[in-house]
Amino acid sequence: MNRLKRPVMWAALVAIILLAGFSIYGAFIGADQAKTFFNSIPLGVYWGFLALLLIVGIVLFRRLLRTPSLLLMHLGCILVLAGGMWGSESGHALQKRLFGTDAIIKGQMPIYEGLQENRVQLGDPNDLRELPFLIRLRDFQVEYYEPGTLWIYDQSGQSWKLPAKAGDTRTLPGNLGKVTVLKVFKNFRMTLEGDEQVAFDAPGGSNPTVQVRVETPDGEEASRYVFADFPGHPRPEDPLTMRYHRMESDYISKLEVVKDDKVVASKDIEVNHPLHYGGYHFYQYEWGRNEYGEYTVLMVVSDSGLTVVYAGYAMLLVSMFWHFLGPRLFAAATNRRKAPGESSAQPSDKQSQYQ
Amino acid sequence: MAIKYTLQGMLIYLTIAAYLLAFITTVTGRRKLGHGLFLGGFFLALLAYIYRWVHVQHVPLQNLFEVFLSLGVACYPISLLCRKYLRIGGQWAEMLIGALVLFPAGFVFHAEPQRLPPALQSWLFAPHVAVYMLSYVFMAMAAFRAFEQLLTKPNPQRTTLAPEQATYELVVIGFPLLTLGLILGSIWGKLAWGDYWGWDPKELWSLVSWLVYLGYFHWRYMFGKKHPRINSLWALVGMAAIVITLLWVNLSRLFSGLHSYAT
Repeated sequence: MNRLKRPVMWAALVAIILLAGFSIYGAFIGADQAKTFFNSIPLGVYWGFLALLLIVGIVLFRRLLRTPSLLLMHLGCILVLAGGMWGSESGHALQKRLFGTDAIIKGQMPIYEGLQENRVQLGDPNDLRELPFLIRLRDFQVEYYEPGTLWIYDQSGQSWKLPAKAGDTRTLPGNLGKVTVLKVFKNFRMTLEGDEQVAFDAPGGSNPTVQVRVETPDGEEASRYVFADFPGHPRPEDPLTMRYHRMESDYISKLEVVKDDKVVASKDIEVNHPLHYGGYHFYQYEWGRNEYGEYTVLMVVSDSGLTVVYAGYAMLLVSMFWHFLGPRLFAAATNRRKAPGESSAQPSDKQSQYQ
Repeated sequence: MAIKYTLQGMLIYLTIAAYLLAFITTVTGRRKLGHGLFLGGFFLALLAYIYRWVHVQHVPLQNLFEVFLSLGVACYPISLLCRKYLRIGGQWAEMLIGALVLFPAGFVFHAEPQRLPPALQSWLFAPHVAVYMLSYVFMAMAAFRAFEQLLTKPNPQRTTLAPEQATYELVVIGFPLLTLGLILGSIWGKLAWGDYWGWDPKELWSLVSWLVYLGYFHWRYMFGKKHPRINSLWALVGMAAIVITLLWVNLSRLFSGLHSYAT
């Protein structure tokens, strides 16, 4: 290694160790502060230095230019860095200065069922920006795993669980008795039939409820309703408290993109399946219900720099598998074809030092 | 301690016993018997894994119990592959690794089945975790060879690769897998949370692991085998970073973040 190459290699090693150190520090301070730290000016200088070092390495080391897989690997790293910088807050500021584009980096968009919206809340709910198109929420659905779970607690806090399925029973220890699920309601309602109150499942709406029977060891029986949305309060004289829990399996927002009064795109978005339109990704983020109805909260994220990062990922992966695994797979294949005792195709020590 | 008095638990304990017996018989010179026990242990681990899969009705890679169980299954095939195609000896190390990784599954973590939350219902869930687990087994094997290199003197009589070279060969296979795991995780993060990089503690520790092995390659490029002990130290530090990524981040409240559900 000549006089110029050795310091560059040392600089690369120091840069790698520094980034590892920064990452450990970032892990201790938590994601939000780490994001601020890695986007700070000193770290901006570091990122710039790292990108420059990669470029210098490519220019200086002929081996990188002669070996396509190694070249691709280093170019891949440069693209990931470049894409990351382009999509960062500073990158967006630069885009605004250079091209006049003023994209929203990240924000939230609450929309009520049946309504449309183009305002995006940035960090502060009063800090609003407008998209050049509208997003309409046609419908919002929450799906649950079936059956739900009935949690039973005694006064000491010990707990047992029981699938909320009609007919399922759990015998509790000591003199706590036995709990049986009698009926599961999706939308519990009560009506009067003569003088008697009768529970029934009303169509539409949502009030998930479980009717249970508690039998004590001395033969006393009592029936009660456990509501998922209205947990109620434990009574001191009651030996058992119950909670009905249903785990969400999916959230679905049925969206339409409206531009100039025309629907230009539509998608049912779920977690892991965002909508991509107009340079933004729209994610299922939160949901809720209040006196105005059910609403969804979308997260809006600019896709600036993403293609460059993904191109870098592809280059990194292709080059790594090609460079590291290719020769070994080839050696394994040729070794299999050769008769035992013939020379091995395993890379020699000197070869493998650089592979 | 979470001792499991279930069929699942019994299968795990039998596998641990088989792997430990395989280790003892191999180091005492009865290699064929050792290999047979290792193979038997692998089938038991595989059975435990399939049983778990049927029980939870999704790929069992959701929590640390399932992750350690999968590591216990992966040890034998990877060991066999390395012995056959890479001339890497010292199968005793994989027997010990198999028993060590199954210990937390058998005695530490609870095996309560869990349903997949919406964020985990992705086609990237299984490949992201599985690729990481494969790379971790390779890196654990590399760490054992690095340890061997630090503790033993060179033996010119050996027919398999010297520990330093074996460490390198294993890292060379594990590193692209580690990179693939990191990139799949990043793409998944973009699809699920909106960011391909969220500066989450687990992400940062996985980056640290990746950087240590990257440093290892650059160091070895600079010095080759001139400083074999330092080469080995890099591989050991990389393994330490992996252990922190896998365990500490999930278990410690210090690093709560987006990956905390995976306990």
